Amino acid sequence: MTPLLDVQDVVRTFGAVRAVDGASFAVEERSITGLIGPNGAGKSTLFATIAGSLKPDSGRIVFAGARIDGRAAYRVARAGVVRTYQAARVLTRMTVLDNLLLASTGHPGERLTGVLLRPRAASAHERRTLERAHEMLALVRLEAHTHEYAGTLSGGQRKLLDLARVLMLEPSLVLFDEPMAGVSPALRVELLEHILAVRRDRKITFLIVEHDLDFVMQAADRVVVMNEGRVIVVGTPEEARTNEEVVDAYLGKAH
Amino acid sequence: MFLQLVANGLVTGSVYAIAAVGVSLVYGILRLVNFAYGDMMAFGALIAYGVDGPLHQSMIVAALAGMAATAALALALDVVLWKPLRARRAGFMSLFLASIGLALVLRQALLLAAGSQPRSYRVNPYRVFVLGSVRLSEQQLIAVAAAAATIVAVGLFLTLTTVGRVLRAMADDRALAAVAGIDVGRATRVAWLISGLLAGLAGVLAALVEYSFDPNFGFQLLLPVFAAVVLGGIGSAYGALAGGLALGVAQEVSTWSGFAGGVNPVYKPVVAFAVLAVALMIRPQGFFGQARVG
Amino acid sequence: MSILSSGSFWAFVGVVAGIYTILALGLQVQFGFAGLLNFGQVAFMAIGAYTMAILVVKEGWSTWLAAPLAVVAAAAGGLFLGLFSLRLRADYFAIVTIAFSEIVRYVATNETSLTGGSQGTIALGPIGTASQYNGQWSRFEGRVQHAFGFSSSDATMLAIVWTVAVVLLALTWLAMRTPWGRVLRAIRDDEDAAASLGKNTFAYKLQALALGAALAGIAGLFYAWEFSFFSPDDFQPLLTFFAWMILLLGGLGRVWAVPVGATVFGFIFAGTRFLNFAPFTWFASDQRAYLRLIIVGLIILLLVLVRPQGLLGNKREMVLE
Repeated sequence: MTPLLDVQDVVRTFGAVRAVDGASFAVEERSITGLIGPNGAGKSTLFATIAGSLKPDSGRIVFAGARIDGRAAYRVARAGVVRTYQAARVLTRMTVLDNLLLASTGHPGERLTGVLLRPRAASAHERRTLERAHEMLALVRLEAHTHEYAGTLSGGQRKLLDLARVLMLEPSLVLFDEPMAGVSPALRVELLEHILAVRRDRKITFLIVEHDLDFVMQAADRVVVMNEGRVIVVGTPEEARTNEEVVDAYLGKAH
Repeated sequence: MFLQLVANGLVTGSVYAIAAVGVSLVYGILRLVNFAYGDMMAFGALIAYGVDGPLHQSMIVAALAGMAATAALALALDVVLWKPLRARRAGFMSLFLASIGLALVLRQALLLAAGSQPRSYRVNPYRVFVLGSVRLSEQQLIAVAAAAATIVAVGLFLTLTTVGRVLRAMADDRALAAVAGIDVGRATRVAWLISGLLAGLAGVLAALVEYSFDPNFGFQLLLPVFAAVVLGGIGSAYGALAGGLALGVAQEVSTWSGFAGGVNPVYKPVVAFAVLAVALMIRPQGFFGQARVG
Repeated sequence: MSILSSGSFWAFVGVVAGIYTILALGLQVQFGFAGLLNFGQVAFMAIGAYTMAILVVKEGWSTWLAAPLAVVAAAAGGLFLGLFSLRLRADYFAIVTIAFSEIVRYVATNETSLTGGSQGTIALGPIGTASQYNGQWSRFEGRVQHAFGFSSSDATMLAIVWTVAVVLLALTWLAMRTPWGRVLRAIRDDEDAAASLGKNTFAYKLQALALGAALAGIAGLFYAWEFSFFSPDDFQPLLTFFAWMILLLGGLGRVWAVPVGATVFGFIFAGTRFLNFAPFTWFASDQRAYLRLIIVGLIILLLVLVRPQGLLGNKREMVLE
């Protein structure tokens, strides 16, 4: 079976720094793949490159059989690859509901021509979006905050809102940037349950960058380990845990 | 003719360069695009006029007085305006709008105090020096010499003194500089001091080169100076220098008849913007600026 | 003080406030809703006014064809500016927009055969004739005055300008409530986040810039009709700064704050002409003009310092950063 996402020899430099230096790996459909590595390994840069906010210097990124490297971020998102940010990028000066309503694809009301020429289609689409938004709010249990500004939410609640918003988009692949960072232990369990449930019910694939290795070991089917811009190991969490190169990368080589 | 235009361009460019370095230094520290800079230049030029004309001091004394007064103004404005805005963590938009408000106040205050009639320093505009095929007036030579001396002085200051190195470090990475235990307040005052001195000098030199000036003339110089700053990569002092000189030469040379008949001289300011537009299309981060990581 | 009790003077102040309302409404769309730092708004006003006057005088077009085309031209100017500058950083964008407005003014000043040059629209036609572009407009105004029984042409103009302004305000208010407006507000809040939700942020910003430019073009038309004559000097960057002050005064991100800001500005600006008490009486009348602009500058400074969301702005949605 061909993988859902295939990253091939991707290089991205900043001046003299080779942040990503020929990284290759594949993500299978409906898997949860953990992307780990020490600080500065190039994970965030690689993430941004897959999501389209950075262009690779060379290499290919193939998603569902089509090349997406070099495409603009919004087109990558429309193709079904949706990313989150380490500090959940909710729109703080809009309400929780507005945040969710924004996560709809092909909304005729979001185009001026649609507003003017197809007002009925626009309002029908808006009604459906509103229904789905309330469903999602119930799923992540944020109904009580529907009309509050997202800026008033706690860090953990923002992660939940971000997750709900990503799910609204019905993506095929979610790029999750440190979902556990700044989340309280109680919410962590909940978030993990949400992710596992979503994978089961909605056929969504996850690629997760995470520093919390316990979480990665629990959630991921496969682990990709990066160090100094390269992929050093791809395998099961157990294989990664016992791999010598990985241990060296995290602890530093004892010479 | 071509060489003459290049020489004239270097003269204009010297003035742009000095002013552009002053704008860029403050931007590097405060992220402020100072719209009032042109009016600070006019302030310096008018103070120097007051010392040169009614007080009958030498032009050098007058220029130094203009520079000192402008630096004092810059420091005073930091206390009453920019510091409170920093305390409020005001971002780029607030700072830029505040500088527009300040520009209005400054220019109108100058008009109120000095009137709108044109003025000239007590210099002889007809003394001309001939260098090969190039003729330059005394004021033009003074401007180029003063610019060269200033550029060397600022360069030495930025590379050799501790404060200078701090300023460069802050322009590169403000967060890092704050973590490294740099006295941000002091560095800010030094930046304003130098920026003010350069504004005063640029104002006096511009007034010398243009021969006659009025309180509005600073604003007319502002946009080419901004263009030079952006061309050089905003926040980079050396870039601003190069940007200023390049722009001055481009403006003058564009009128050369060998250059597709030459651009009509009335469009010289437009040439500056055109150069800027083309440059930004090729390199959106400016020519000497660096793309920031992340 | 007799002029203060004259109805036509206050009607004039009201007309100017209405024109500024339309101009600043364009900025509200661009900055208040899409976060674009446009400092060249006056250029689109100039493009609108000049396109109409040139088509009417030189090409003999009907005002009713020339006016809509002038608005389209202003919007096209916005598209043109946006296409090559919207990808720039916010500070470079701000500088480029001012530069653009100055280029437009330089061209209007120096392309005498097209615009009449520094003499203004009076020199649009053949040498020796004083050109007029608002014959058809005046007849229309007269018919409106007659039909509604307005007491003077000033009152008629006041009614026309504010009717148009209210319609435009209402349309903008409605547009911002559509999903389209929601995307704009999202871009203002966090452009990268909006892009990661699949929004083509560049296209939205371009639309906001062009629509704001079209509004400025409409303001330019009324400016031209109100004064029956204009020259490049009427389109100094100062006018853009006035519009910014109105925006700040009224409040960011709220459509109905714009007319409030414009009206307050109109009274400050016109009212300060009549400061007939000390210390203002110490100054000659030309000096009082400088004083008036100093007051405008001080108000901008004060607003930025103490009330960055404006008088009626929504602090939770939009603050000047």
